[in-house]
Amino acid sequence: MTWFLPGLLFCAMAQTVLLGPLSVWGIRPDLFLLLVFLVSQGCNPEVATLLGFLIGLCQDGLSGGPLGLHAFTDSLLGFLAARLGHHMYTDKPLALFWILLGGSAAAGGITLGLLTFFLGPRLLLPALLRVIAPEALYTAAVGLLILWLPRIRAALIRSA
Amino acid sequence: MSLLLRLLARYRRAAILTSALVLSFLLMTLQVRHETAVVTFTRQTLLFVVSPFIKVTAATIQGVTGVWRDYVDLRAVREENRRLQFEATTMKRRLEQLQNQAMETQRLERLLAMRQASQAEFLTARVVGKDATNWFKTVLLDRGSLEGIRRNQPALAPDGLVGRVVEVTLTSAKVQLLTDPVSAVGGLIQRTRVTGIVSGNLGAGARVSYLPLMADVAVGDEVVTSGMGGVFPKGILIGRITSVERNSGALFQEATLQPAVDLSRLEEIFILTNLDIREGFESGTASRP
Repeated sequence: MTWFLPGLLFCAMAQTVLLGPLSVWGIRPDLFLLLVFLVSQGCNPEVATLLGFLIGLCQDGLSGGPLGLHAFTDSLLGFLAARLGHHMYTDKPLALFWILLGGSAAAGGITLGLLTFFLGPRLLLPALLRVIAPEALYTAAVGLLILWLPRIRAALIRSA
Repeated sequence: MSLLLRLLARYRRAAILTSALVLSFLLMTLQVRHETAVVTFTRQTLLFVVSPFIKVTAATIQGVTGVWRDYVDLRAVREENRRLQFEATTMKRRLEQLQNQAMETQRLERLLAMRQASQAEFLTARVVGKDATNWFKTVLLDRGSLEGIRRNQPALAPDGLVGRVVEVTLTSAKVQLLTDPVSAVGGLIQRTRVTGIVSGNLGAGARVSYLPLMADVAVGDEVVTSGMGGVFPKGILIGRITSVERNSGALFQEATLQPAVDLSRLEEIFILTNLDIREGFESGTASRP
């Protein structure tokens, strides 16, 4: 947990500054969501909920959306990820990719639901095609890379 | 009391989750009509704490990129014939400088014309960060209330309208782009003087809605600010119509709009600082339920 605050700060800087040039059709991976996923793996659901809330609040502070939008989503996902932690542990990269994709798509769906509830109806298809699906794919791919990079490196060292 | 504590201890997991969700929901509810002091304070505190790090990161990246470019240039010069390469590079750079100067002059001329037309005072701010989500379109500026930036001031680029300031701390400000899904700007079709509302289109530019069904709207029409609402001065170019939709049975027609400014490549923004800003009076935000 000692790396939580530095991690949060890094995510804030990366998401707002560093990822700009890496955006594809204006879509960037959601690093805050990956942070929620990462911190939830090492703690109980209560702590994961609170940390998810803080991460979401920070993301909302740096966004144009209403405060609490991502705090809601991230605290819920933090809770679920920590609760299902041991079920979600897998060595297979494809399975991990699907888990991340599902989590990210679920987060997008919850966000869309909340936006519709608070700010009026949103068109489902454009939201799905232009934001939720590309963001989920990009986030899952980056998440897989981050989670598998240490393993790939270890495998390379072993083979050398 | 002890029973309550025991119940809380027993169901603490559910209690914490419910509290977090209810608190988030409450925060969002507080902002539906207008922002409360609690929400504004929380937002500004978060921005105030994080923005210095963002500024430092942006400056570092700019510096590193510059050094890297210089290094690459140096290696290229060594590999080539030194004298000829030097001459070619010098001439190329001279040409680039002249082209840049010409572009800069054009930009300043347009800015001067805009300034003279609107009798406005401008403040230049650098874009240091983008929105932390893919749902909203805002940018973070390196200047804040210390330099005179206030909420609801219009943000412009030499080519046209960018958006408006939605949040200000002492040293930074957040600008809501006109492509943000909750942004709304009163627009006027330049050719036919028909008015409509320009709002963000969730990841695909902007759209003009509430155009009268029988109004003459065509692809390529320029849309400027209507001046209604008291936030944006009249006559600033917003963009051009790229398609018009007339659905049978609908009361209004809609059009998609390509913003005049390339909002994905913003580096500098001009903030109009001497307008009479009336907060809460058509503040440039889309209608909420």
